[in-house]
Amino acid sequence: MATKDSASATTSSASGSTATATATATATSLRVEDVTVESGIEPGASAETMLVTTDSLEEFEQELSSSIDDRQMKESITSTISDIQQDPVDSPKTLAMNLEKSASFDSNEIDELSQQFGQNSLDADPLKCKVWLAQKKHVFVLSQAGKPIYSRYSSEDKLVTVMGVMQALVSFVQAGNDMIRSVHAGDTNFVFVVRGPLILVSVSKTLESVPQLVLQLTYVYNQILSVLSQSQLTKVYEQRRNFDLRRLLTGSERLIDHLLNFMDREPAFFLSAVKCLPLLPSMRDAITQTIVQTCSKIKNLVFAILLANNQLITLVRMKKFCIHPADLHLIQNLVDSSESFKTAESWTPICLPKFDSNGFMYSHVSYLAEDCQACLLLLTVDRDVFFTLSEAKQKIVEKLRRTNCLEAINESMNKASITIAEIGLSEMRHVLYKCKSTAQFWSPGFQPPYTTDEEIQRLLGCYQCLHHRLHSPSRPLKLIFQQLDKETMLAWVTSGFELYVTFEPLITKTDAINSIGKLLKWIKKEEERLFILNSPTF
Amino acid sequence: MKGQEVVAARAAKQQQGPMHRAFDWLPTAANSKAPSPGPGNPHHSHRQSSNDSLFSAQATPEHCDLHCKVMLLGDSGVGKTCILTRFRDGQFLYGNYITTVGIDFRNKMVTVDDSHVKLQIWDTAGQERFRSVTHAYYRDAHALLLLYDVTNKQSYDNIRAWLGEIREYAQDDVVIMLLGNKCDCGAERVVRREDGQRLANEYKVPFMETSAKTGLNVELAFHAVARELKARTKKEYSDESKFNVQEYLGQHQSHRNSCLATNCLTT
Repeated sequence: MATKDSASATTSSASGSTATATATATATSLRVEDVTVESGIEPGASAETMLVTTDSLEEFEQELSSSIDDRQMKESITSTISDIQQDPVDSPKTLAMNLEKSASFDSNEIDELSQQFGQNSLDADPLKCKVWLAQKKHVFVLSQAGKPIYSRYSSEDKLVTVMGVMQALVSFVQAGNDMIRSVHAGDTNFVFVVRGPLILVSVSKTLESVPQLVLQLTYVYNQILSVLSQSQLTKVYEQRRNFDLRRLLTGSERLIDHLLNFMDREPAFFLSAVKCLPLLPSMRDAITQTIVQTCSKIKNLVFAILLANNQLITLVRMKKFCIHPADLHLIQNLVDSSESFKTAESWTPICLPKFDSNGFMYSHVSYLAEDCQACLLLLTVDRDVFFTLSEAKQKIVEKLRRTNCLEAINESMNKASITIAEIGLSEMRHVLYKCKSTAQFWSPGFQPPYTTDEEIQRLLGCYQCLHHRLHSPSRPLKLIFQQLDKETMLAWVTSGFELYVTFEPLITKTDAINSIGKLLKWIKKEEERLFILNSPTF
Repeated sequence: MKGQEVVAARAAKQQQGPMHRAFDWLPTAANSKAPSPGPGNPHHSHRQSSNDSLFSAQATPEHCDLHCKVMLLGDSGVGKTCILTRFRDGQFLYGNYITTVGIDFRNKMVTVDDSHVKLQIWDTAGQERFRSVTHAYYRDAHALLLLYDVTNKQSYDNIRAWLGEIREYAQDDVVIMLLGNKCDCGAERVVRREDGQRLANEYKVPFMETSAKTGLNVELAFHAVARELKARTKKEYSDESKFNVQEYLGQHQSHRNSCLATNCLTT
């Protein structure tokens, strides 16, 4: 008996959906042991990794619970960047976590306020515009003083009153020494995140869960940090509480716009993982070695990252330092949204909030060549080495060209991703496979019926629902088998991987198990091509 | 040897402590006890590179007689990237507003008389938050093109502040040229040509109005800079070849000035 709850049931709050989810788990009599390929070895697993593998969602949960005291947040005393600049490189990063009571909230008061919110009338304001009101997911950023900073779909100037209401809601609850988390009204969720001097609000009609929306808002916050850094953000608001932050963010609204669209279509964010460009292991090694050899003498170079089509080709790191997938996602967002990188070599400051939220790294950004659109980023803590890195980049490209690596990259970039049908698994349609130990994931190309944007969005939505249920804070699950109207979905989490599979709607459990077995064998066979299994350092 | 250089540079940085500004991008600024280094710190890293000097004959694969670093400055949105794209590729970037993130580096060869001049053009982001990153590169620049937008009074008013920063961070003998961009936008114009000229006279810098959209005076601006820089290197050999940018601009611009009015046919 598989639950047939698609859309509607998932909108209920976390506690509500636990019941149905539990039912799903008990009803499914899958024996996971049947499916394991070779016990102990998950496809794509590796002892070494260049990515931080803690699950973002859990981390963000923790961070969320620390937000009430953020205003008095102490800057962490150690700074990763200054550690690197001062030669001896070891000191663990300490994070000050403050705990807080969870919010309980009088719903009557909220109703009243949210009514105001919904019916606010202003001349020529977006709140009267049907298109604006019909948007699936709004995102707003404002300061604790209530000043508008960002709005996803309209000029934030016109939303002064709405933002005022948001600020009122937040501070009203804060006055009671409590924290507003979310408001649920019909099919709309209002999610609030208070971080440092900023308030971030998401108004969503999508099926995404509150933790997922919180995660997205946290990404938006991190994007702002990436532009300004924590210390600068704190500093400007310490000096003037009603500072207009837009002055410092001019030109970076597009980064937030792009990030929000990016999160709507990329599973990488909720999986907290990175996808690699499929490459022959020998080619990938050759590329990596070229970078290592060329850059090994350059002091203070922390990361060298090569990206193509938003996928990772290779990542070389300084010993002792790893990069967090969330930081890498911000880098991908920067590259993907900045046309200007394509025509010139750029030198740009960037703060990686997970790496060191108080300092800037400097990044040499350039595409390898006119005829090879892979983007190389060399990140250093030294602001004066542009020309050194520019020279290094030239050498890297020359060597890669001589060894035919550019061709290999192009070939892989231009080739459409393999689909499940091409792998030869009938009855299976699509899959997300995340290897936990390396924080990398793999997914095949979309095949019918997932050919339109709408269908792809819907599929990703289903994956997100499954992800939420696996990781539900109140009642996490290990296995879900769910027959929906248009497809059957299976989600499975083990200590080594997370797997989300879409099947034909009428598949039997036995067939599903069999094909998962085959799939895992295939991934295992291809793992060297699909994943980066080593973690090179300079 | 490299290590020594870095040590030396650190020492130099500390001497510059008082130049600390409110907007400091330097990561250590928040925590370190040492006085915060000012943005205009020494460019030690590429001192050793041979192309750093104004005379770098045959240093690069393409033969060039002269290698110059030209920097584009001005508020965000005045059209720095557009001017450069017009000059480098002969195109105008319609519609999409491309923000520069940090500094973009591009090369372009120009020919002055018989010699090849390689211009390394640094296109900077206009946003305040990138200011201190760009400051670090002022000192290496041989020429600065300072832009404002004739349809944006604020960008014109900020020119004084820009000139102040230039005086603070750039070399004393840097070539400066003031450009009033978007002069094709007749109806939206809020800064008169005379205003630009008056400001330029006050600071004794050459001035022109340009349009990245129509290409008006764009080539001229870069060529004038290249000529001036070339003339300067010659001066050291003889005083004969005196070159005056303002005169040069006057000569070459004059015939176009008349068509300025006809160019303003937009909106």
